[in-house]
Amino acid sequence: MSGEKKTFSVSKYSKLIILAVFILALSILRPKAFLTVGNISNVLWSVSVIGIMVSGTIYVFLLGGIDLSIETLCGLTAVVIVEVVTHMGNSVGGVIVGILAALGVGALAGLLHGFVITKFKVPAFLVTFATQSVFLGLSMIITNNKIVSCTKPKLFTMIGSTWVSIILMVIIAAFSWFLLSRTVFGRRTYAVGGNATAAEISGINVAKNTILCYVISGLTTAIGGIVLASMTQQAMASTGSGYTNDVITAGVIGGVSLLGGQGTVQGAIFGAVLMGLLNNGLNLMSVPSTQAGLVKGIVIIVAVAFDAMQHADQSRKKVRKVVKKA
Amino acid sequence: MKKMKQTTLRRFISLGLLLVLIILFAILGGGLFFNADNFIEIVRDASVVGIVGVGVTMAIITAGIDLSTGSVMALVAMTMANIYAYTLWPIPVMIILGILVGIAAGLCNGYIIGYLHVPEFIGTLATMGIFRSLTYIIAITDDNGVIQSQPMTVYGFASLGYAAGYFYLVTIAMIVFIIVGQIVLKFTRFGTNVYAVGANKKAARLSGIKVEKTQLIVYGISGFCCAVGGIFTAARLQSATAAIGDGFEFDPIAAAVVGGVALSGGSGDVVGTLIGALFMATLKNGVLKLNMNTAYQYVIKGVIIILVVMFDSAYKAHMDRLAKERGAKEGAEE
Amino acid sequence: MSGMNEIILEAKGIYKSFSGVPVLQDVHFDVRKGEVHALMGENGAGKSTLIKIITGVYSKDAGTIEWEGKPVEINNYQDCQKLGVACIYQELSVIPPLTVAQNVFLGREPRTFGLIDYAKMNRMTQELIDRYQFPLHPATLVENLGMGQRQLIEILKGLSQNSKLLIMDEPTASLSGKEAETLFHIIETLRSEGVSVIYISHRLEEVYRLSDRLTILRDGQNAAVLNREEIVPKKVIATMIGKIVDESAGSKKMLHSDDTAPVRLEVKDLTDPADRYRHISFQVHRGEILGLGGLIGAGRTEVVRAIYGVDKAKSGEVILDGQKMNPSPKTSIAAGIGFVPEDRRSQGFIPLLSTTRNIALTNYDIIRKKGAAVSYADELAMSKKAIKDIDIRPADPDKEVGVMSGGNQQKVVLGKWLMRDLKLLIVDEPTAGIDVGAKNEIYEILENLAKQGVAIILVSSDLQELIRVSHRILVMRKGDVVKEFKNEIVTQSRVLSAGQGILDEEEAQA
Repeated sequence: MSGEKKTFSVSKYSKLIILAVFILALSILRPKAFLTVGNISNVLWSVSVIGIMVSGTIYVFLLGGIDLSIETLCGLTAVVIVEVVTHMGNSVGGVIVGILAALGVGALAGLLHGFVITKFKVPAFLVTFATQSVFLGLSMIITNNKIVSCTKPKLFTMIGSTWVSIILMVIIAAFSWFLLSRTVFGRRTYAVGGNATAAEISGINVAKNTILCYVISGLTTAIGGIVLASMTQQAMASTGSGYTNDVITAGVIGGVSLLGGQGTVQGAIFGAVLMGLLNNGLNLMSVPSTQAGLVKGIVIIVAVAFDAMQHADQSRKKVRKVVKKA
Repeated sequence: MKKMKQTTLRRFISLGLLLVLIILFAILGGGLFFNADNFIEIVRDASVVGIVGVGVTMAIITAGIDLSTGSVMALVAMTMANIYAYTLWPIPVMIILGILVGIAAGLCNGYIIGYLHVPEFIGTLATMGIFRSLTYIIAITDDNGVIQSQPMTVYGFASLGYAAGYFYLVTIAMIVFIIVGQIVLKFTRFGTNVYAVGANKKAARLSGIKVEKTQLIVYGISGFCCAVGGIFTAARLQSATAAIGDGFEFDPIAAAVVGGVALSGGSGDVVGTLIGALFMATLKNGVLKLNMNTAYQYVIKGVIIILVVMFDSAYKAHMDRLAKERGAKEGAEE
Repeated sequence: MSGMNEIILEAKGIYKSFSGVPVLQDVHFDVRKGEVHALMGENGAGKSTLIKIITGVYSKDAGTIEWEGKPVEINNYQDCQKLGVACIYQELSVIPPLTVAQNVFLGREPRTFGLIDYAKMNRMTQELIDRYQFPLHPATLVENLGMGQRQLIEILKGLSQNSKLLIMDEPTASLSGKEAETLFHIIETLRSEGVSVIYISHRLEEVYRLSDRLTILRDGQNAAVLNREEIVPKKVIATMIGKIVDESAGSKKMLHSDDTAPVRLEVKDLTDPADRYRHISFQVHRGEILGLGGLIGAGRTEVVRAIYGVDKAKSGEVILDGQKMNPSPKTSIAAGIGFVPEDRRSQGFIPLLSTTRNIALTNYDIIRKKGAAVSYADELAMSKKAIKDIDIRPADPDKEVGVMSGGNQQKVVLGKWLMRDLKLLIVDEPTAGIDVGAKNEIYEILENLAKQGVAIILVSSDLQELIRVSHRILVMRKGDVVKEFKNEIVTQSRVLSAGQGILDEEEAQA
C-alpha cells in the first residue's frame, strides 16, 4: 500500500513468508489431507465469519478501542434473523426482513457503544463488557434458552454455503479496504487513532468519526452473525461464542495495533486466514480445539508487548532528542 | 466531615441500589424471597464473588482490570482434581498447591501488565483464554480421552462447602477476606501505594513508589483470591470440571462497579465491592425465585453497569466543573 | 540572623553541552543558609539545565558541587533526599484521592504493628503545618483542593523530610493571585526558619519581592549576581538581555504597520469562561504580522485557541473579513484560518502517519475525488509541492512524521496550511525546540505569506523572534493586553518590561 510507511512493507513480506512456510509445512506433513480443494475451501469457509467481522472491528482497533461484545452481538443477530425467518414462514421475504433486522440491531448496538464512549468518556472495554451481558440476555430471552433451527428457505441456507460466505467475506473486506485506504473517512480514522487532539485541531469531528467506527463494527458483527446462523442452520444464545478472542487475535496477527493508529484491512484478513490455517493444521494434526486458546492468548500478549515496547522505545528516543535540544 | 462527602454519597447510592432491589423482589415475590433462609443463601452466593472481588477491586484501584478470574479458578480447581485423582497426598497439600497455582497465574498477569506493558484488559483477556486452555489440557479424561468432571467428595475437602452454625464456611472466609482486604488497602503502606499507582502513575513514581512491583503484587493477590474462590466453588460442587468459572469474570467487576470502585483508578474499597456482590447475588436469586427467565439477570446486570458508569462519569465531570469554577472565582477575588 | 552567610550549596565551574552545543559554561552558583536565591534568565539561558544538574537529572561535563562545604555527587532523586534537597516540580506529584497527611508521608508512613498510625501521622502533619503556618488541614482529601494548596503540599512534603534547600521552578505559573500571596508568605516563613530556597521565575515582581539575592544567567553564562538592594527592574532587564545584543539585529527594530490595509481579523471583547483572559479586542490587517508577547501563562495561547475555536470563549466576537465567525476548527478552516498549535507533538501532527497524510489532513475539501476515493495523484502532488516549497527533509512523502526532526515536523504542520487559500494564520511558539537553520526558514515562510496578504498572529516567548518577525506587537499580562508597540522603535527590554508590568518606559529604557 502506498501511504503506509516503509517498514510496514517489509513486515508485509515477512507475513507472506510466514504464510508460505505454513502452507508448505502443512502440505509436507499432511499432503493428502491438506492440499485438496475441499480442505482449502474449508479453511476459507471457516475463516469467513472472522474475516467479515474483523473487517469492521478493525475501525474500533484503529481508534485504540476494543469490542468485547463481538461474540454475544454475533449471537444476538443470529438469533434475530433465525427468529424472523421462522416467524415469517420461512419465506424469502422473511429472509430479507431478517437480514435488515439483524443489520439494524448491529448498527444500533454500535451506535450505543459509540454514544456512551464519546459522550460519557467511558473506556470502550467497559461499555462493551456490559453490553456483552445485555446482548447475551436478550438472545436468551428471545430464544427462551432454546436452539432455534432454520433449514429453509434456500435463500437463507445459501448465505452460509462455502462459496457464498467466502465471496461475502471478499466483498466486505474489499469494501472495508476501500473505505479505509481510499476515502477521506478512512484517512480521518487513522488520524483520530494516531492523535485525537491533533485531529480535532485539524477540523475533524472526532466524536462523529468514533461513533461511525463503532456502527461499522456493529454492522460487520451482524453480518457475521447472519452468515454463522446460515452456516449452522440454527441459532442460540451461545452462537458466536469464542469469536471475540478470534477476531482480536486475527487483527493482532495481521499487524493491527490494539494501541490504535496502525493496521490495514488486508493485514487483518491475512491474520484471519493464518488463524484458519492454524486451526485447520492443529485439527489435521489431531490437536484438540480447546488448546488453540493457549496459542491465541500467547500470540496476543507477544504481539501487544512487542508493540508496547516499540512505543516505549520511540518515546524514549523522543525524550533523548528533547534532552539534546534543551 | 467535609472530606467524606463524595465517597459517602457514592456508598449510599450502592446501598440504595441494593435496597431498591431487595424491596422490589420482596414486593414481587413476598415470603418466597423475603425470608431469613433465603438471605443466608444470597450471602452464600455472594461469597465467592466477594472473595475474588477483593483482588479484582485492588486491580481496578490501580486503574487496571482482571478478566481472567474465572479461568484462574478453573485452573486451580483442575490442578487440585489431578492431585486428588492421581496422588494420595493429603488434602491440605492439595489445597496449598492449588493456591500456589493461583498465585502463579496472578503473578503472570502482573508481569505481563507491569513489565511487558500490555494494557490490562488485553493482557488479562489473553490470559483468560490461556488459563482456560491449560485447564482443558490438564483436564481429567476417561479412557477414550473424553473430558470428565472429577468428583471430589472426601469429607476433608467437601466440608469446605458446608455451614458452621448459621453461616456457610465460604461466607465466613469471605468476611475474613473483606476485613483483611479493607485493612490492607486502608492501613498499610502497600494499600496506600495501590491508590497512588491508580490515581497517578507518574506522581507515584516521583514519590519513590515502585509502580511495576505494586502491579505485580496486586495481580498476585488477585490470583490468590481466585484460588480461594476456586477451592470453595469446587468444594460446593464436590467436583471439578473444566468449565468452572466460565463467564464468572463478569461478576466481581460488575460488583466493584456497582460498589463505587472507579474504573479510572484511585478510588473505591472492598466494602463497596461486597455491597456490589450482594447486589449481584440478590439479582440472581430474585430472578430465580420469581421464576423469571434467567436471561433477565444478564440484561439487568449489563444495563445497570452502563447506567452506573455513565452516572459516575457525569458526576465526575460535574465535580470537575465545580472545582474549576471555584478556582476561577478565587482567581477573580485577588 | 546567625549563620546567614554560611553557604549551603555551591556549584563551581559548571560546564554542560548537549551534542557539542555548550549550554552551560563556567557557571557559578551558590546558595546561603536561610536565603531566597532567585534564578532568572531568558528562555534557553540555561536555568533548567543548571537545576537539573544540581538535582542529578543530568550529569555535568565539568565542575564541582559542594554541599555544606563538602564536595558531593548527586546522581538521582534519592541522593537529593539524603542531602536534604527537595525539588517542587511544576508538574505536581501529589495523589488526589489521598489526604494531605497521606501525601506528605507517602512511603514513610509512621506505623504501629505494621499498620499505618493515622492519628500519629495527622499529628505530625499538623505540627509541620503549625510550624510554617500552612493554610491546610491534615485530613483533607487533596482532590478537594485547588492548585495552590496542592503545591503547598509538595513543599510540606519536602519540609517533612527535613529539607534544607527547596527548589521551586516557576511555582506561581498556575496559581491565582491569592494563592501566590499565600505561597509568598510561606516562603518568607521558611526563610525565617533557616530554610534556603532557589526560586526560578520569569516574573520580576515576585523576584523583587522575595529574593535576597538574584543570579542571572545569559547564554549559559553567569551574567550577574545581584544583592537585594541591587535588584532594580531596569538593571535586571538590562542584564538579562545583555548590552552587546542590544545593537545586534533582532533585539531592536523600528516597527512599521500599515493601518490603511483592509482589516482581516477583528476580535471584540473576547472573554474566557475560566477568566484566563478578559475583554480582549484587537485588529489584524491584511499582510500584517501581529506579535503577541508576554510571559508564559499570560493568556496568549488561550486567546488564539479561542479565535481558532479549539476552546470556546464565554463572550465576545471574532470577525474575519467582515463576517462574524462562530469559531470551531471546522468553520475556521473553511473560512481560511490556519492554526499551528504550541505543542507540536501532542497537538500538531499525527506521528504514525506520513508527510502526505499529515499535509492532506486539513485539505480533503480541495483534493480531487474519483467518486468517493481520494485521488492519490492529487494527494501526492500536494505533498510533493509542500516538500519542495518549504524544503521538508527527508523529501520522502511517505516518511513517518513522528521520526523526523523537530524543524521538519513543524514544517509539515505549517505546510498543510500553505496548501490552502489562507486568510489568517495563527502560529503559537512556532520555533520552540528547533535549530537555528529551520527557525530562519520558518521566519521566511511567515514573511512570504504576509507579502501575499495573509494576516498572521505570532505568539512567541522568544523576544528576538517576536521583534524580528512582527510588524506590530501586543503584550499581554495576566489575561489583559497591557501594551501595544506600533510604528515605533521596540527593543527586547521594552517588550520584557511591558510583560513584567513595568509600563514606565523611561525607567526601563535607561
